[in-house]
Amino acid sequence: MALVVLIHLAVAGILVLFRRPLGRWAFVVGALGPASTLLWAALNGSRVLSGDPATESFTWVASLDLTIAFRVDAYSLLFLLVVAGIGLPIFLYSQSYFSPSSRATNFAATMTLFAGSMVGLVAADHLLALFVFWELTTITSYLLIGYYDQKAEARSAALHAALVTGGGGLAMLGGIVLLAGEAGTYLISEITANPPVGSNVLTVAWALILLGAVTKSAQFPFHAWLPGAMAAPTPASAFLHSATMVKAGIFLVGRLGFAGVAAADWWQPAVFTIGFITMVLGGWRALRQYDLKLLLAFGTVSQLGFMFLLLGSGIPALAFGGLAILVGHALFKATLFLSVGAIDHETGTRDLRRLSGLRRSMPRLFWVTTAAALSMTAMPLTLGFAAKEAAFDGLLAESVWLIAAAATASTLTVAYTARFMFGAFGPAVPGTEPATGKRLASRSALLWAPALLAVMSVGIGLLPTLVLPIVNGAAKVVSGVAKAGKLVIWPGFVPALAWSLASLTAGLLLAWRRQLVDRTTEAVGRVAERLPSADTAYRRSIPALLRFADRSSGLLQNGSLPAYIAIILMVAVTAPTVAAIGESPVLVTPPGGSMLEWILGALIVGFAVALPFVRRRFAVVILLGGVGYGIAALYSVFGGPDLTLTQLLVETLAVALFAFVLRHLPATFSRPATARLPRLAVALAVGAFVFFAGLVVNGARSSETISDTLVADSVPEAAGSNVVNVILVDFRAFDTLGEITVLVAAALGAAGLVIPVIRDARSRT
Amino acid sequence: MKTRPSAILEAGVIAVSGPVLVFSAYLLFAGHNQPGGGFAGGLVAGVAVLLVWAAGGTDTVRKVLPVRSTVLMGVGLLVAAGTGFAALLPGLAFLESGYAELSIPLVGDVKIVSALFFDIGVYLVVIGMVLALVRALGEDATAEEVPQ
Repeated sequence: MALVVLIHLAVAGILVLFRRPLGRWAFVVGALGPASTLLWAALNGSRVLSGDPATESFTWVASLDLTIAFRVDAYSLLFLLVVAGIGLPIFLYSQSYFSPSSRATNFAATMTLFAGSMVGLVAADHLLALFVFWELTTITSYLLIGYYDQKAEARSAALHAALVTGGGGLAMLGGIVLLAGEAGTYLISEITANPPVGSNVLTVAWALILLGAVTKSAQFPFHAWLPGAMAAPTPASAFLHSATMVKAGIFLVGRLGFAGVAAADWWQPAVFTIGFITMVLGGWRALRQYDLKLLLAFGTVSQLGFMFLLLGSGIPALAFGGLAILVGHALFKATLFLSVGAIDHETGTRDLRRLSGLRRSMPRLFWVTTAAALSMTAMPLTLGFAAKEAAFDGLLAESVWLIAAAATASTLTVAYTARFMFGAFGPAVPGTEPATGKRLASRSALLWAPALLAVMSVGIGLLPTLVLPIVNGAAKVVSGVAKAGKLVIWPGFVPALAWSLASLTAGLLLAWRRQLVDRTTEAVGRVAERLPSADTAYRRSIPALLRFADRSSGLLQNGSLPAYIAIILMVAVTAPTVAAIGESPVLVTPPGGSMLEWILGALIVGFAVALPFVRRRFAVVILLGGVGYGIAALYSVFGGPDLTLTQLLVETLAVALFAFVLRHLPATFSRPATARLPRLAVALAVGAFVFFAGLVVNGARSSETISDTLVADSVPEAAGSNVVNVILVDFRAFDTLGEITVLVAAALGAAGLVIPVIRDARSRT
Repeated sequence: MKTRPSAILEAGVIAVSGPVLVFSAYLLFAGHNQPGGGFAGGLVAGVAVLLVWAAGGTDTVRKVLPVRSTVLMGVGLLVAAGTGFAALLPGLAFLESGYAELSIPLVGDVKIVSALFFDIGVYLVVIGMVLALVRALGEDATAEEVPQ
């Protein structure tokens, strides 16, 4: 499996490196990615379906128990087939859609990278690996949506999608870490086999994970990014934003839903509510669109809501129906998007008011689109029908409310499908400039790629047994229930069929009276536009966030060095003090020092106390140096030659460097800009804190001191008898490496700050 | 405006800075078993740089130490990190140390600790840092040459 992911990566890399020679056939080369996935599935499919998952595991960081683990069971296999089975025709379609250019080649490389990330996402068994692939799809999606980067609209849509799904992904990461902490493992297979229960942490964990899935799969209230993402070139919309990436959230709730239900009693109601609102809202909004792609996008939102509800429910029969719908949806929605792409490509518009007479000018595309549209409305003899019957059957067994909700969404689906078909292939609206297309050549991938997918929609509808083993196997894997679901051409007169027929009839009625529907949606829409929507919420939240960042950094990064130091010191004082409250710390009385120690101490204190009363800068530097030398002498008294040496040298250098700076400054301090009282308060607080902390920490040791082991190990382990140096260059050498790196950064920074000032001063003289 | 420091001071400083540098090298090499080490050694060398500056200004510093401070710091970091990576070659962990006992003619038996090379990196970084600060801060605002 890792090999398949690597092939995608390699193909993407080769495309970017050999842009010139490969540019003409960029998408055909990119198609090697999905082709390799399909080949893998062909070789391993039957074994996986027989209940023997294909597993691979690579150690990444052994000491952190981090592995890159892949585990392809029937559930993963189903998603792999969707990703590659839809991806391959879309790659070939793109070859005809784009004219060769270096940007198109980059697009092909990004799409290949996306396909590889998607493969990794559905095949990963380690939650952190899943997260990495998850965010890779976010990033590639961002690049693909923003392909037309000269358009501000495309750029902001790409950002919107990336912020929402990326933010959800981060929330999910938090959830993953909490969940793994409770479960004691990061492996999905182990978590689902033995879900952790009975902890409050799990509530937070599952809520965060659900948030990740909700944002990724464009569920209410985060759905607004998906219609925006239609700014992407149509092949990307077909691939990412209908068939695959938006299904990642569905994939996750399907995979973990049963564990979620086991751990949190709010999970199921939450999933039902979110799914229900999303599917009705999406269907309703689709009815009001004029752009064919936007219409399909809202339709996708609606269908995603349905799948989210089914797969997230943690109910075996619903999971089965959800998976069947997922396959059906991927096939018909990709077809429809590709058809819209072909129409857009040939006529230059996607406005359904302007498109006219395409039924005659593009007859073959019309039939292809019709087949997919029939599957979308779940007409008998299509996969959409068989899948929806399975889902309705499961819903009916659960609750009348659920099936009523699904039937409402289905009615809307029929209505917006009619709007789509009449809009695209019917006459233009009077008063607009009509756009007509020309006949597509049958060898053009613009035609045969969607045709292939449409044939699959209908073919599988007629022969549902083609996908039944995979759907069944997948449902079995996630639900743990061996009961096989049914996927049939005609279910017979069962109660669920009554609901289907009712929603179909209602939908056809809406389609028949669509002028009336248009007027109604228009009128309601005018009112609804004034209500808060997810889109305006996003639009308002970004400037608000920037304002907040602006104000908070203006407050904290105000450019005043005394303020910075005060903040740092007060945090250092406050945090441990707060932590110590209620701990009843023990004050350890230090042993009485020798005469020499008292004298040195008095000297240090004398220098320090004198400091605030001196106005001359140079005297201040000398006094500070005196404090430092005094401390060096104390080190020496306590028997620390290394510390003494280093302290003396640092003090010497510091005084000398101060002297450098002083040459450029006035000889005396000016009156401080801020009042003396707050400064005095900070100074006293720090002094008191350090004094008491010194007395407390000596009595607060809770574990063995490591000094003894360090001293004992110094010669045998590191062949050095100066333990201070051995600690610096051997035991804690990694720390030292970090410190000298910081030293270099600080030196460069200081030099970089000073040199321009001097140059500036010189240019003025 | 710029006045030349006394020639006696300059000569004296140059005479002293040699032994100071030797002392700094001693601290570096002895550090593993005696007080000292790369950090202290580097600081002592830094003091020598300061003395040279006091005697002759940044021009003299540039003459005595014709190296860019950035090069010193970069090489130092490379040596320190390189010691860490070198440990990977014989299959040790990053920065894990080893030692070898050699007998060198005229010198005698010497124990070479791989951590010494790490310490040399620290030493170079510290000298580079002092040099960078001296060159930046010690530059006279009225001098004609632009500091490099």
